[in-house]
Amino acid sequence: MRSVRQRRTATAAALLAVVALVAAGCGGSDASGDNASSGQDAPGADALDKATGVTKITFWHGMKGANGAAVDKLMKAFNAKNSGKIEVTAVYQGDYDDTITKYKTSVQQGNTPSVVQIYDIGSRFMIDSKQTVPVQSFADKDGYTLDSIEPNIANYYSIDGKLNSMPFNTSMPLLYINKEAFVKAGLDPNKPPSNLDEIMEAAKKLTIKQGGKTVQYGFNAAIYGWFLEQLTAQSGTTYCDNENGRKDLATKVNFDDEQGVKIATWYQQMVKLGYMPNTGKKTDDAQAVFKSGTSAMHLESTGSLRGYLDAAKGKFTVLTAPFPKLSAADTGGPIIGGASLWVDGPGHSDAEKRASWEFVKFASSPEQQAAWHTGTGYFPINSKALDLPEDKAWVAQYPQFTTAITQLHNTKPSNASSGCILGVMPQARKASEDGLEKAVLGTDPAKAMKDAADSIKPQIDQYTKTVKK
Amino acid sequence: MTAGRFITYAVLVLAAIAVIFPVYYVIAGSIMAPGQISSYPPDLFPHGLFTGNYEGATSTTAIGRQYVNSVLQTSVITLSQLITSVLAAYAFVFMKMWGRTLLFGLFLGTLMVPWESIVLPNYLTITGWELGGQRLTASYAGTMIALVLPFLANAFGVFLLRQSFLQFPTELRDAAVIDGCGHWRFMRRILIPLNKPALMAVGLYVFLAAWNQFFWPLLIGDNANRRTLQIGISQLNDVEAANPGLILAGVVLSILPTLAIVIFGQRFIVRGLTAGAIR
Amino acid sequence: MLLPCVVIFALFIVWPLGKSVSLSLHGSDLFGRPDAWVGLQHYRDMLGSAEFRHILWVTFAFVLLTVIPGVLGALLIVLLLEQHIKGIRIFRTAFALPFAFSVASASVIFATIYNPAIGLANGLLGRFGVDRIGWLTDPSWALISVAITTVWMNIGYNVLVLSAGIGAIPTEINEAATLDGAGGWRAARFITVPMLGPQLFFLIVISTIQSLQGFGQIKILTPEGGPEQSTKTLVYSIYHTAFANNASDFGAASAQAIVLLVILLACTAIQFGVLERRVHYK
Repeated sequence: MRSVRQRRTATAAALLAVVALVAAGCGGSDASGDNASSGQDAPGADALDKATGVTKITFWHGMKGANGAAVDKLMKAFNAKNSGKIEVTAVYQGDYDDTITKYKTSVQQGNTPSVVQIYDIGSRFMIDSKQTVPVQSFADKDGYTLDSIEPNIANYYSIDGKLNSMPFNTSMPLLYINKEAFVKAGLDPNKPPSNLDEIMEAAKKLTIKQGGKTVQYGFNAAIYGWFLEQLTAQSGTTYCDNENGRKDLATKVNFDDEQGVKIATWYQQMVKLGYMPNTGKKTDDAQAVFKSGTSAMHLESTGSLRGYLDAAKGKFTVLTAPFPKLSAADTGGPIIGGASLWVDGPGHSDAEKRASWEFVKFASSPEQQAAWHTGTGYFPINSKALDLPEDKAWVAQYPQFTTAITQLHNTKPSNASSGCILGVMPQARKASEDGLEKAVLGTDPAKAMKDAADSIKPQIDQYTKTVKK
Repeated sequence: MTAGRFITYAVLVLAAIAVIFPVYYVIAGSIMAPGQISSYPPDLFPHGLFTGNYEGATSTTAIGRQYVNSVLQTSVITLSQLITSVLAAYAFVFMKMWGRTLLFGLFLGTLMVPWESIVLPNYLTITGWELGGQRLTASYAGTMIALVLPFLANAFGVFLLRQSFLQFPTELRDAAVIDGCGHWRFMRRILIPLNKPALMAVGLYVFLAAWNQFFWPLLIGDNANRRTLQIGISQLNDVEAANPGLILAGVVLSILPTLAIVIFGQRFIVRGLTAGAIR
Repeated sequence: MLLPCVVIFALFIVWPLGKSVSLSLHGSDLFGRPDAWVGLQHYRDMLGSAEFRHILWVTFAFVLLTVIPGVLGALLIVLLLEQHIKGIRIFRTAFALPFAFSVASASVIFATIYNPAIGLANGLLGRFGVDRIGWLTDPSWALISVAITTVWMNIGYNVLVLSAGIGAIPTEINEAATLDGAGGWRAARFITVPMLGPQLFFLIVISTIQSLQGFGQIKILTPEGGPEQSTKTLVYSIYHTAFANNASDFGAASAQAIVLLVILLACTAIQFGVLERRVHYK
């Protein structure tokens, strides 16, 4: 009898405990919403000066391989310089897509990193998220000049007239070439194809079959939305409406028009004719093909150059050429791509925010950008970096890097070459990839791109609705 | 040998090769130099022992720490489930109470809820909790807690142990109680020692399930030092895409414990994992 | 004594189940936090969309492609092993080996093997003069490739369970059969297989549940749900809607989670209704 009553009491207590815990859980999740609106101001330098002990900050990034190693070097250099005062921990979060997704979840959890590297197309979302302190505010507060940032690049990351995030790794796509394959096919590696039609022609000559099996592909590239964005910019047309989202919030994407369909048709033909293997959307897999020497031409970011040079050592010679134009008559230029560093505000102490700013400044300094440039292949975003002796020596040793620098300086800023500003740009890129993939797998290119463009429309509307609320 | 016997052997050997091949490949590939493993056409036999992949896997990743995390996560879950299951099974078998059958039915009902159906609210709840003024998942200890919390009890263990306890003669238990043996003493001194096989079975089952977890740890750990081995391995695959030998070396390191269990503890596994199949 | 279990279940199963339903009736903000009440909107959107029907079809196909070969393959192996094989121990250990591989490690190995450029699978095919197959990049192959990985992972466990079942068949039954002249395959067909009823039933139920819940192998082998979403199963879609692609739509994801629960319950109920009646229990 007694034990029965005890048990009932126990059950009641259990339920009470559950209710209490549940309530605590609910209370917790509400709190994160409160401080989201504040904390976007830049504190003064005294916040860090007054801080006692080591101020610890975290830095989330999406760099791996040779680039990841360069980030670790940067982190060590910073920690050594600020020993006893600031300590930064760099955390790899997966590729760019994973990083922004993880970041988004961290906002939800209320434990955002102090500094996060976000790709160019995530910029609009980052601004709308109201989670960050514009680097311009820090610079204004300190009277720090941002003049040495490459104007083309600074321009790209300035929205509404102020620099929101610090450009970090800036890249453009290049046409990579396997020199020996060109020579063997009787082509001149110094006169690379300059548009899609020429690539197809060259690829035909560069594709080698043995007994019905392809041993060398003329060309290869991932099904990567970035290439479509770049080719669109090359043609001087916009990727989304309202002047690439700069006049007003964009309401639709344009990749179902003439340019997009042309690109999809080209992809389809390249695979159909056997000049290019379909390695899917994973850029890693496409890169592996070029690295293994089974492809003669390849599209990738300048940021992959260092890794390619390392991989090709002793096997073949990697050359670079300007990113191809969509059609021979095109007058546009490629978009400055890459990623920038965002300082997080809400949920971080003033000392931490200052420490983040110190780190961001450090990462953009000429010395560090020179190290970054030579270690990865990304551009130095600080124009002074190119003047440093170690950078000059490097460029002299690896002339392949020059292609990128020339390409950057030749690009004339325009709405087309600044890229589309769209809150759901990451999803739009994915949609375009779905379209390209469908075309590659046999769907009529016009239909594939139309379906893809339609599929992103509800998400654009939804986002606009959420932000305008 | 008759034709029938021959076919039997041929099919068996072919099947065995198909099953073992990936196991061979992971080991062979892990000791191949980078040039060899990505050569085309492929070369199946390592040219000597290349240890660079193992050096790479241990130095460029946090695999050691992830091992510790996984062992920690797995042992806490296993131990906790054993304890909670013994307690609950004991109550269901030896304590007469109101609504016992109904409650047991509810327990079994929880087995029918797939984790993926409730992962989102659990994620929102647990990441919303705070520990010592900061988010639970912001610290290492908090992350480990979040990793194990939802799995501290499971009805499967309760079910299996209840089956086992039911076979315990009631007279024996009554005698023990008359001798002044309370619940705890009876449990510790008599019931648990007598049900060791069933406990082993549950423990092994829970261990393997926890060790293999993927979805939840993927959501919870947000830096390399807080991830479990399984997530670490899948990230290695991502980061070192151009370096398959290194990836395979990481895989070999990650499967050592379970491989040892399968090779040397097959008998336990058969007993443990088929516990649910044999009624 | 029931307290610990009751607390854990209430907190992490029962309450979240209710919350799942509630989430599925709400919209989400930029970060996935629930906001306005939308009623049955998510369910209406889902059931009306061709994409969701595609997801259900993929889920169903994946179950078929993994459960049937997995269980039948293991049954064949076990029956062959029963034919008084020499070296049975070695064979049995060999077949049990995949069991040591977690979902993540098995998937990573197969990802390496399937690699479109330098993978072993295409390399070996090349030796026989067959051109490359887009294991994970061709929509007609991707799901099959993921299923092969899954079957490989499961076969060890299935063999172990069935072996144990055979071990439990009283030897007199087999001896009696042999005396009656029913040797080899006749004995297998008329005695061993029926006697394995409970184990086979168990495996079918368990494998179906596991296939419906399969996630790691799909995430690792075919990020983004495969070419033309050919490997986007319901569970992957839940993850994708809530956590990937910068989407964070917890509301829509929860609606899918509820559908998953319903499907799983229905499947299990059907299997118990149809199959269990035919199973012979000792």
